[in-house]
Parts: sequence; structure tokens; C-alpha cells
Amino acid sequence: MSNIVNAEEIRSVKVLTPRLEKLKAEWEAAEPQVYVDDTLLFTESWKETEGLPVDIRWARALEKRLLECPILIREGEILAGSLTKFIRGNGTLCAMKPHEILKMCETGKFARKTSDTESTNITPEDLEALKQDALYWIDHMPKVSTVNKAYEEEMGTEVFDLLFDHGMVFEGRGVREKMDRGLFQNYSAYGGGVAQVSQKCIDNGLNYVIDLCKKERERMFNEVDVANSHGSAQFLRKYWLLKACIISCEAFIAYAKRHADEARRQAAECTDEARKAELIRMAEACERCPAEPPRSFYEAVQCVRMYHLVCWKESSDRPEVPIGRIDQLLYPYYKKDKEEGKINAQDAAELLGALWLKIRECENLVTIPREQRAAPGSLLPNITLCGVNEKGEELTNEISWLVLEAMAQIKLSEPAVYVRVSDKMPDEFLRHALDCNVRFGGGNPAFLNDALGTQRYLDRGVPLEDACDWNASGCLGYHLGCMEHLGGGHNINQTKVFELALNDGFDRRTGKQLGLHTGDASKFTCIEDVLDAYYKQLDYFVPILHKIKMLGLATEITDGPMSGLRCAMQYEDCIREGLTPKEGGARYPEGWTSWFGSRGLVDIADSVAAIKKIVFDKEQVTMAEMLDACEKNWEGYEALHQACLNAPKYGNDDEYVDEIYDGLCKKVVEIMQSRIDPITGKKPMLFIGAAAGHISIGKAIGALPNGRNAGDPTNDAACSAMPGMDVNGPTCTMNSATNDDYAREYCGYALNMKFSKSLLNNDEKLDKLGDLVRTFVKRNGWHVQFNIHSAEELQAALEHPENYKNLLVRVGGYSAYFIDLPPELQAEIVNRTMHEVM
Amino acid sequence: MDYTKIEGTIFNIQRYSIDDGPGVRTTVFVKGCPLKCKWCSNPESQSMEKQLRYRFTSCKKCGTCVKVCPNGAITMGEDGVIIDREKCQLCGTCVKKCLLEALTFAGEKITVEKAFKTVRRDKDYYDQGGGGCTCSGGEILMQPDFVAGIFRMCRENGIHTNADTCGLGSREALEKIMKYADMFYYDLKHMDPVEHEKGTGVDNKVILENLKVVAESGIPTVIRVPVIPGYNDSDENITALAKTVKEIIPHAPINLLPYHKYGASKYKMLGKEYELEELEPLSQERENRIVEIIKSFGIECKVSK
Repeated sequence: MSNIVNAEEIRSVKVLTPRLEKLKAEWEAAEPQVYVDDTLLFTESWKETEGLPVDIRWARALEKRLLECPILIREGEILAGSLTKFIRGNGTLCAMKPHEILKMCETGKFARKTSDTESTNITPEDLEALKQDALYWIDHMPKVSTVNKAYEEEMGTEVFDLLFDHGMVFEGRGVREKMDRGLFQNYSAYGGGVAQVSQKCIDNGLNYVIDLCKKERERMFNEVDVANSHGSAQFLRKYWLLKACIISCEAFIAYAKRHADEARRQAAECTDEARKAELIRMAEACERCPAEPPRSFYEAVQCVRMYHLVCWKESSDRPEVPIGRIDQLLYPYYKKDKEEGKINAQDAAELLGALWLKIRECENLVTIPREQRAAPGSLLPNITLCGVNEKGEELTNEISWLVLEAMAQIKLSEPAVYVRVSDKMPDEFLRHALDCNVRFGGGNPAFLNDALGTQRYLDRGVPLEDACDWNASGCLGYHLGCMEHLGGGHNINQTKVFELALNDGFDRRTGKQLGLHTGDASKFTCIEDVLDAYYKQLDYFVPILHKIKMLGLATEITDGPMSGLRCAMQYEDCIREGLTPKEGGARYPEGWTSWFGSRGLVDIADSVAAIKKIVFDKEQVTMAEMLDACEKNWEGYEALHQACLNAPKYGNDDEYVDEIYDGLCKKVVEIMQSRIDPITGKKPMLFIGAAAGHISIGKAIGALPNGRNAGDPTNDAACSAMPGMDVNGPTCTMNSATNDDYAREYCGYALNMKFSKSLLNNDEKLDKLGDLVRTFVKRNGWHVQFNIHSAEELQAALEHPENYKNLLVRVGGYSAYFIDLPPELQAEIVNRTMHEVM
Repeated sequence: MDYTKIEGTIFNIQRYSIDDGPGVRTTVFVKGCPLKCKWCSNPESQSMEKQLRYRFTSCKKCGTCVKVCPNGAITMGEDGVIIDREKCQLCGTCVKKCLLEALTFAGEKITVEKAFKTVRRDKDYYDQGGGGCTCSGGEILMQPDFVAGIFRMCRENGIHTNADTCGLGSREALEKIMKYADMFYYDLKHMDPVEHEKGTGVDNKVILENLKVVAESGIPTVIRVPVIPGYNDSDENITALAKTVKEIIPHAPINLLPYHKYGASKYKMLGKEYELEELEPLSQERENRIVEIIKSFGIECKVSK
């Protein structure tokens, strides 16, 4: 279904119309303000529902917030729906993280997820109320972490040495004593997409969902049913879940109506006829949707806005709500309006711009130290475009074009946009996407391999019709919208395992024997000895990680309410199963239980290459000297350090190291997948990467033979080269990353590349970049993204951040403002090789 | 002799070379050039011999090279080491000992087969958008068998080839390359033979004769003109140049390469003087005027930036 698009018309639209320009400027100028109404309403509701089934408590807590929170429609806005009553409010729920909130109340400094700058604006009354709220939850939170209790029971306290600090051997959920734990433990550092904007719900209207729930409840009493077959406890569980879904839907409808009322109130007072008409249009949309299907493109966009907001509030204040395949969702509405002469590209572009602003303006408070966050600077409201459907049709449409144009012109760090690239994608569209990438400047959109994404689901036995409906979620993940639940994951810090292999299992950082005794590495006589020791260590740790994962998930489910309903009402399968997505109610539940993350394979490949070259091939130093140099962080070994840096590096299409990398990837896949996941009965899904976790894991390891210094970040993304070390140009980097089919096994396998603007200053050069994207996909690469800027620009931004507030860079799965990033990440982005032809 | 075993001297193989022809390309830069253009941005390409290159910015002045040099050719100066190019025998002792890679050689001998092995690695990218292999220099006509050998292997493997030449070389050399070249990038500098000699050391007679040979072959050709302010950017020269192109090879587009100073630091690395230190880049106004003149002859004209 290739639609003919007038590229000229698309490029001539003006997204930032005067009113959007004004709204954007107001937002940018606004001081961040701490917003407390929602958390207070939540707590109040929780007190009121004492003793009721937990699903009902969640539904009521949502209902109370939706019915009683302040409603704001700003002058000039064409879309309704604000997270808070402030232009730039930062929401939170004390129930999730009371200790941290209390600490912030005491210091008066409130950290935000999207920035390193702290917000200090809060009225004395709100400050006091927030403090009392936090104290209430501290008083009411469980004294023991059931997750940790289970770990201790099963594996002894030693397990905490592997887990205790972020970046040790494992990273997982709920294991850090120091991390704040509310009643509903906040695991927001982990796990990608949660509740998602659902096309099906928007298209059918929530009255359809309510009806479905009611019918299902009827059925429960009269027919043999899933819930019945699970026994009486499950029967009641489903009964209350359905009730909770109905409450949630009705509250959502009422919330939209409150906006309609506010719009009508403003319209009545409005003397400007044009504005009045806009407000009435807004009111009509909010009166109809989300209860009934949208009648127009405008109503559909308004509906998307509302869903994003309600999913956010509903998901325990977790903001990572993917917007999904918005071009597929909106296009039918646009097409109809356009055919009826009711809309043109310009009007649609402005509406998309307005949607962009509304999504971006949301902020929340965050409690995890910034360098430990999985994706600093981002709230991850991902948008996915294009893709091939089950009939083999490529789905790029005019909205795909307009979404990118809106992104390029409005220049906001979020939402992150992902384009599903297939061989059927029109060349003109790919050029447009790259051109928008250049104009946007900060690595948006990212390019994903359409066929591979679908293939991975087919590999797992998902039928084609569902398999091709995936979208990007989280920092580097993807999932099947409201058919699959993708929760948290468990990562293994491979560089730590490697370091232990070089030290006979002894951890120099904690002074403890964390791993197996794999032999004194100074006595190793060939590179195979090094690799064997590493594989043995990994083989030892995988079963432990496996247990950690199982217990973590099980505890999470028995803790039940922790994660809320996760918008169960949007999952038709959850309604039928009577379980939340988190509990396995989604059509494809395996995503939430079965992924293992790995980090640092490129560092290991480079380290092995350096040892092989310097110690065993050239015999320039002994193994003992190499180990001593790493232990002393190169002090007194400057020449060796340089030789290590000069050793062959991944990312240069150099067979010497690429063969090591290939062998490593294969063996690691084998070891990591050696155990079947008992919940799904399948091999665990493997994941590599995360946007910025390489900084925190880097802190936990000493110097490595690849020349990296102790405490420095490990390599970013999954298959990017060591910063500044891929010196042979982008084709070489891509070749190193795609020599084999790793991306089929490893999801999140992302490649970050950086291009200077001067390489992309005309259509011809953009097409050459397009050749790179297409070849990357053809070679089975999964995810590639381009940062485009000049070295001078970045250097200047480091020196004069005040002049570069708008400088966007791609970090991992998202773009962020350069000046908002932690210094380590800034330095690393500057160091990532600029692919500039001399 | 097996043509794949022919050796050539190169100074670089550049991947993702996007300014050297259509699509994504790999450019093999051969070493040695019969011209001595003052503005040359690749001074390491001029001599066919191996050269010792010194990168000031990488040097930590550890003094190892001074100690190990068997010929006493290296001394320590204020801003780094000083190489006595007379005494240096290019033995490479210092290059081996320099861990910082501040001292390196420009120029390596390589067989056709080995060069092609690198070229072939990016075939997937060439296939996507009509890319391929470019041989440039230096001057390819100085190593015709080597270049023709690479091109022949390319042709046998379905890889597009582009010959980037200054046009100065024997007819025989040119024909060897023409046999396997899918297109030409052909440089023209000055139409006045005397001025041509002043700027490049040689007059333009052979260059223009060879252009006729290329034109007759019908191989697609792009004329490339380095535009050096004050040397060949006058209305008069540009007019003469456009007229000549129109006469000899009427369908060839002209591609302008405005002068830049990026090569200046390379002169220092080789211990050479850069004569054009004071020269300012071409103004936008002059550039527009030149494009206008060329277009007035009905010739397609682009500016590379």
C-alpha cells in the first residue's frame, strides 16, 4: 500500500506555527515546578480503599486522580491534556519512593528524569504536604524486601556481593538495599515498555472495552472459562480485575469529559471567534473520545494525547509509555478527512507538532542517581514508523512523512522516533528520514531492521499477523504493543566476568572471591587459556542469574499490586485471562520473563585481541606484566598502555579482532541459552545494551587489556566500537558489527555512529548514507542511529553550555540535550569517532 | 606473469570514500605523481618512494627514536624531533620503536590481489547505490599495470571502477587503464601552457591530447578543476577551459574543487614547506561567477564541498 506522497508539500509545511512557537517558548522558559496533587490524591484513595481487593484499590486510586486532579488548558493550545497544573510540572508518587522523596524534601532539591538540573520550585504548603505524604509511606512500607529475602533463602547472603552495587556481576530488580523501596517497589531503572497507547482501543472506543469486560463477567458465571479452569482463587481474581478495568475505563472517559467542560467554560468566555471554535472542537473531541471511536484526524490525535497521559498516570507513575505505530494509527483518519477536503498536510503537521509539545512537556521526579539510570535524559515515549505487514505490503504513508517533518522542525528531544527499514521502503522516504535526521541534528530517527524484528517473533512461534506488528519500546527494546508485556530484565556485566577470569575469580574491588577458581592467569600460556577461564566463569554465573531472575519475577507477582494494573484494560487477552500483563495475561507473556542482558562483549573482544597480540604473538610483555598493568591502572606501564590501545580494535573490519568477537558472541549465546526458561518453556531471549548503563558498569571494573582505564565507561550500545578507535570509516564499523547473525539472537543490538554535517550536505551524500542504512539491514544489522554534528560544535558546547541548550545528541535508544548529560557521557560522545573523510 | 601479483606503491586505501564517484566507494591512492602542484593536498602522494612521516601532535618527546636511530638522523628540538632527511636511510627502526605512532611510513608496496581484497570487503555497499572502486593518487598513469590489474579484478567481480587522473602519462599507460575503467575523473588546471608549467611543473600538451583519447573511447568522464584563487580562477582561464571541454568532450560535466588548506599540516609532517600558507580560500562570489561562465557553455557544473 505505497501511497503517493508529495515530498515538496511535506517539506513546505510549517510545523512551528506562531501559536506553537509561543507555547514552545513558554515551556522552555518555564521553571520546573514540583507537582504534588496526584501523589496526595493517590495516598488519600489508598487510605479510603483499605481492605478492598488490590486491583480495585489501584483502579480507585487512578479514578481519584483522574476525577480530582486540576485540569489545565493553556491559552493557544489545540490539544488538551496536561500531566500537571503547571507548564512544566514534575509529578511523582510517594508510595513508590518515599525515602528519596523525603530526602529531596529535606534538601529542597528535586531531581528530574530529563535533566541533571534540579528543580527547587515548590510552595511551602506543597513541600509540607509532600513531606507528610512521604512520611506516611515510610511508615506503611514493608520492613523486609521479599525479593531479597527469597534470594537470601535460596542462595545465601553471598548473592548480594554479586548484586549489591550497580554494575557488579548482575544487575537486576529490587536487589539494592540502598535503593529506595516503597510499598510498590520502584523498579523503573529496568525494563522497557510498559503500558502502551493502544490502537485497537482508540479505534473501538472504551465503551467497547467496558462492554467486553461486562460480557466476560457474565461468561464467568455461565461458561467454562479460563479463570474457572484455574480454580476458585483465580475466579475471584478475574472477577475483581474486570471490575477494576471497568472503573479505569469509566474514569478515563470522565477525565476526558472534565477537559471538555473546561474547554466549554473557556469557549463561553472567549471573544475571539476563531479561538472559540477551536475550544468547541476540543470539547466535542473530549466528549466523544475515548468512549467512542474518533470521527476525525483531530479527534484521533487528541485521543492519542489522552492515552499517553492516562497510561503514564496509571502505570505507577512510570513514564515509559510507547506511543507505538502512530503513522498506522492515524493514517486512516487523515486519509478520510483529506478525501473529504477537511484537512491538508499543513493542518496535520501543526497537530502533530502540538502532540509533540504535549508529550515532551511531561516530566517526573526521579530518585536513582543519574549515572545509574538506564536512560538518563529520557522518558522514552517512543514512536515507530513504517514496516511491512503480513501481506508483504510496505506501510509508509503520508503521516510517516509528516511525523518526521514535525520531529525535524520542532526540535524537541522526545519522543524518539524509530523507522522500520525494509527493502520495500521507498528511496525518497529513506532520504527524507535521513534529511530529517540531519536537520534535527540529534540522532533521530533511529533505523531498525523491519524483517529481522518480525523474524525474531516468528522464531518464537508467533504467527505472522501478530509478529509484524512490533514497535520500539524502552531504551533499546521492542514489543508487540498490547499483545505482549515487556517488563524488566536481568543483565550480566560480561566485563566483570572477564575481569574475574583474569583474577582467578577474585574481585579486587570487594576483596572477595566472587567467581570460580579458574587458575592463576599469569601462568596462562595461550589465548585459549584466557577464553576458557572466561567461559568457565560465565558458565558458573548463568545458573545463578537464572535463579535470580526466576525469584525476582515470582516475588514481583506475589507482591501483586506493586506495578498496578499496567493498563490491563487495553489488553484484550488480559481481560479474557483475568490477569494483568505483568502476571502473564498478555497474549505473548514471554517477553516479561525471559530476557537476559549482556554488556561489554566488544570490550572483551578488544582485550582478548590485545593479550593475543602483545603477550602471545609478539611476546612483548608477559601475562603477569599485563595483569599487573591492569591492576595498577597502567601506572608505570605507559608504553604498554599505548601498545594496548594500538592493538587491533573491533570496528575496523580487521579480521584479527573480528574473528575473536565472532567466536565470543557465538559461545556466549550458547552459554546464556543453555537453560530453558521454565515459565515459557523456551530459550531465554538475549539482550545487549541499554542506553547508558555502560557508565555504571564501567565504574565497577578496573583497567582492561584493551587499554581502557579503571572506572571508565565500557563501550556504549551493543556493537559500537571503543570510542575513537574505529578509524577506518563507517563501512568498516558496520562490517565488524554484522559479520554474523548476532542480531538475530541479541535484541537491542544497536550501533551508534557519528557523522559530521559536512558529510551530509547534499542529497547525493544523503543517498550514500542511505546506502549504508540499507546495506546494514541487508547484512542483518538490527539498529543503527546517527549523531550528526561538528566536532567544534560539541567542543564549544562543553565550554559554553549556556549557548548550546538546544544541542541534541543521540545517546542510546534516544536523543537528549547534550548539556543535560553526565560529564562522562558528554566526554564519551565527543570521543566517539567522527566519521569524517579527510 | 599473473596480473594479480603485480605490485604497486600506495599511500592509503580509503573506505566510504564519498567524493570520488557515484555511490559508496573505496579509493586506492597510489603514490607518485609527475606533477608538482603547489596546492597539492596530498603531498605524501608526490614521491613514489616511501617517506618517513612525523605527527607532531602524537609525539610525547620520549626520545626513544633519537636513541635508536642507527644513522643519527633524529635530534630532539623544541617542538618535537627534527629529522635530517639527508641522513635518514628509511630503515624503519624508529617507526618500529615508536609506540605512540608519531613516526610512521607513508607508502607501502602491495599486490593487486591484496588491494582488491580490501576493495571487495565493501561490495554490499557498492551494490546498494552504484558505488565501487576508485583509483586515485598520486597519479594512476605512473602505475598503469597495477591500477589496470585492480580494475580488472573489479570488473570480474561486478564492481564499478573510476579512474581519477591528471592526464599526464603515456598513451600506452592510458590505454591499459581505459580497458577496465567504467568512468574517468579527469583533472584540468590551466589552459595556458606556460601558466600550467608554472603551477604544476609541466605544460598541458600531453594532458589535452590524452583527454581526446578518453573522449573517443566514450567512457563516461567528469572533468575536475581545482580552483586556486589567483592562479586559474580568472574569467579568461575558466572561459578557455569551458571552451576546450566543449570542443574535446562535449557531454562531460565539470566538477569544481575549490582550494582548501586541509593539506597544509601534511607538509609539516613530511618536513616540507607549504608555499601557499597565505592564500585565502575562493570567495563565494568568485565561485558563483565561475559556475555561471561554465554553465553558459551548456556544460553541467557542480561544486564539491
